[in-house]
Amino acid sequence: MNNVQVQRLGCACVAGLAIVAVLGLARNAVAEPKPGGSLIYAFSSGPRTLDPYVINNTVEIEVVNEIYESLVALGEDYTARPSLAARAEVSPDARRFTFTLRHGVKFQNGKEMTAADVLASFQRYQAVSPNAVALSGVEGYETPDPYTFVIRLKGTNALFLDVLKTPSYPFSILPAEQKDKAAGAADVIGTGPLRLGEWMKDSHLTLRRFDGYSVDPSAQGLDGYAGRKIVYLDAVRYNIVPEPNARIAAVQSGGADVTSQIPQSLSKRVAGQPGMQVQQVFPGCQQVFFQHTQNVPTNNLLVRQAVQAAMGVDDIMEALGEVSKRNGQLSYPGTPYFTPGNPNFHYDVNDTAKAKALLQQAGYHGEKIVLQTTPTYSWHLNATLVLSEHLKAAGMNVEVQPVDWNKNSNDRMSGEGGWNISLTNFCSQPLLGPQQWRPFILTIPQMRGDTVLEDAYRRVFESLDLPGRQKAWAEVQQRVFDQAYFLKVGDYGAINIASPKVHDLTAWYNIRFWGVWRD
Amino acid sequence: MFRPVLGSLVRAVPVILVVAVLTFFLMHLLPGDPAVVIAGPDAPVEAVERIRAQLGLDRSIAEQLFIWLGQLAHGNFGTSLVLNQSVVSAVIERLPVTLSLSMIAMAIVVPVGVACGVTAAYFRGSLVDQGMMLLALLGVSVPSFWLAILSVILFSVVLGWLPSSGYVPLSEGFWPWLAALIQPAVILALFQIGFLARTTRSAMLEVLGQDFVRTARSKGLTEWLAVMKHAFRNALIPVVTAMGIILSLLIGGSVIIEQVFALPGIGRLVVQGILVRDYPLVQGCLLLFGCTFVIINVLIDLLYTVVDPRVRND
Repeated sequence: MNNVQVQRLGCACVAGLAIVAVLGLARNAVAEPKPGGSLIYAFSSGPRTLDPYVINNTVEIEVVNEIYESLVALGEDYTARPSLAARAEVSPDARRFTFTLRHGVKFQNGKEMTAADVLASFQRYQAVSPNAVALSGVEGYETPDPYTFVIRLKGTNALFLDVLKTPSYPFSILPAEQKDKAAGAADVIGTGPLRLGEWMKDSHLTLRRFDGYSVDPSAQGLDGYAGRKIVYLDAVRYNIVPEPNARIAAVQSGGADVTSQIPQSLSKRVAGQPGMQVQQVFPGCQQVFFQHTQNVPTNNLLVRQAVQAAMGVDDIMEALGEVSKRNGQLSYPGTPYFTPGNPNFHYDVNDTAKAKALLQQAGYHGEKIVLQTTPTYSWHLNATLVLSEHLKAAGMNVEVQPVDWNKNSNDRMSGEGGWNISLTNFCSQPLLGPQQWRPFILTIPQMRGDTVLEDAYRRVFESLDLPGRQKAWAEVQQRVFDQAYFLKVGDYGAINIASPKVHDLTAWYNIRFWGVWRD
Repeated sequence: MFRPVLGSLVRAVPVILVVAVLTFFLMHLLPGDPAVVIAGPDAPVEAVERIRAQLGLDRSIAEQLFIWLGQLAHGNFGTSLVLNQSVVSAVIERLPVTLSLSMIAMAIVVPVGVACGVTAAYFRGSLVDQGMMLLALLGVSVPSFWLAILSVILFSVVLGWLPSSGYVPLSEGFWPWLAALIQPAVILALFQIGFLARTTRSAMLEVLGQDFVRTARSKGLTEWLAVMKHAFRNALIPVVTAMGIILSLLIGGSVIIEQVFALPGIGRLVVQGILVRDYPLVQGCLLLFGCTFVIINVLIDLLYTVVDPRVRND
């Protein structure tokens, strides 16, 4: 065989491969969803409870939002979308919200949902949910007919529909018979497209397709936790596999089809494998340092500003080794409350000389600055260790205080424990908007009593037009960062992995199994 | 025989009471608050306070202790704050996993550990002895977490012989049950094999040099009979003691292996309970562990009388 023949043969092979590849892609592109079968999802931890009014972590949010639905839900672009309500009407003064319910929606026990169930659900929420404060502005409810539900507020709240869309402590609608059930004790009966099958705590949980599910006829396709929810799978089994190495191994060995919450470093293990789907989900969480305003020496604004000046975000993000992006705001780019332009939120100042000058101006004499962190999560510890080095370089006397996660959360929210700087990751709050930040910005002890902040926040809720609310939210953030209450580090994503057998798993804030099918 | 058993059980009562009180105080000394977990880390302070009051955590420590001891006196181990489930039922759900894992690991540890120990003692100072002791040293030194991950990559991902994680109940078939547990059981056993082999070796070394072994050999008995029937039997007391300790450690201390292999056992339950400050759950589990150890000790005492009649006569 001469060179020309070899070249021709090579060309023919390449062309053949290309045709096969194109045909393969075309087959995938037009592949019809195949109904039936089960899917195994290697899940990081088990839910504590499936009572929607008391759930708040990612794991619980994922499961609960497959089983239950709310009047309005988080859309694909994180805005509020109708779900169990066919439409929501807001009075001009944003004090009266009228929800027209969809007809023929069935609970998983076969009973039809009516306004009486909605009323009982809201009443139970106020009685048992740790987030009951979200309804503290409610003056009363009305149910003029079985398919209309009205909420009257004591004052204007232009963000009330956004409050109701939350997937954390969701305002799910339960059958009225659950009204008097204690927190965590409600029977698992929702209106969602999947219903609870078997649940062995710490081992696995199975969700089965709810064949009586009423698909929203007005919805076009996937739309966050609203939209058109068509379940092709017979069942989804959530296997609780806490160790990320084992979760990846389960997908690689065929013991699971999908997994999530995989560190970036580990995801490289499957990145080159044919057909293996590695999805980067962004945005996911924001990382923020809190500064204590009552403990010495961070009770001095100049010291807090010195800390702000000393911090360099690139070093911290590099140390974490996660999917990350720079962002100095409390909202994500592309969302309605992201402040356009280049606001001066003192992000990534990274100026040691400025920090030293501020310390001198503050009269700082080496008082200890306690950085409380938790080794329970490596990103907490690593971020704090990097910040501590930045502060030392600026001449601060720093003590890193590692405690477990429980104490860390407790101290951060109560202001106790003698810390000056503490770190947390906010996951759902930035997606949902200003209303979700309120508990941190207005009620935690170290920020209470700031009238400028409270006034700006009041305008966020009371401005009836979006530009007015956007402007007020920019002012809230300006105050938070001017006072160096928060030090924003960056935004973080998550990684999901799915086997080649899984189709149409769309990367979004959380994993959803409607629209998904497998070979 | 019943008198010593009864004596052991009676002596166990104050031990268990001390364990109960110590566990209670250790848990309450830990900083942190279960109400924060229930309310969520982001919940307002007022919501956390409301939950604390609902759970009775706003009462004094002494009051909480007496309430708990009172419940125990009625056989009530309490209800988990986070799982919304009684402590006893939470333990019973997970008991088959822990017992299955422990028993399979024990079935590997005992023959392998004893054989290694006896062989090493018999060939004292030789390459065989040094090789066995090196392996024993590796067994107790290599982190089980690392070994478990390597094992999963080799046997589950590369070779595809065994499942990478999860538990299959015995009711679903013997082989699936064994396939799910053999990998974690071997990793768990490796550490304990080292301990048992070293204990057996030292016990055997003490006995092998004694006159009665020399007498047995001089009577013309085979080496097998002299070593196994005469020497080994007399070395059994420390070996049986070590087995009791190992069984206790396997039942209570397999949390890392349970974590890596996603086995819903009691070890993982306790650690999760500690992390979220689930006081009744951890207190109840530790108390049940205490009772288990007491029972194992009683069984070991009984075993002494079988392996060494002098103990019975004493």
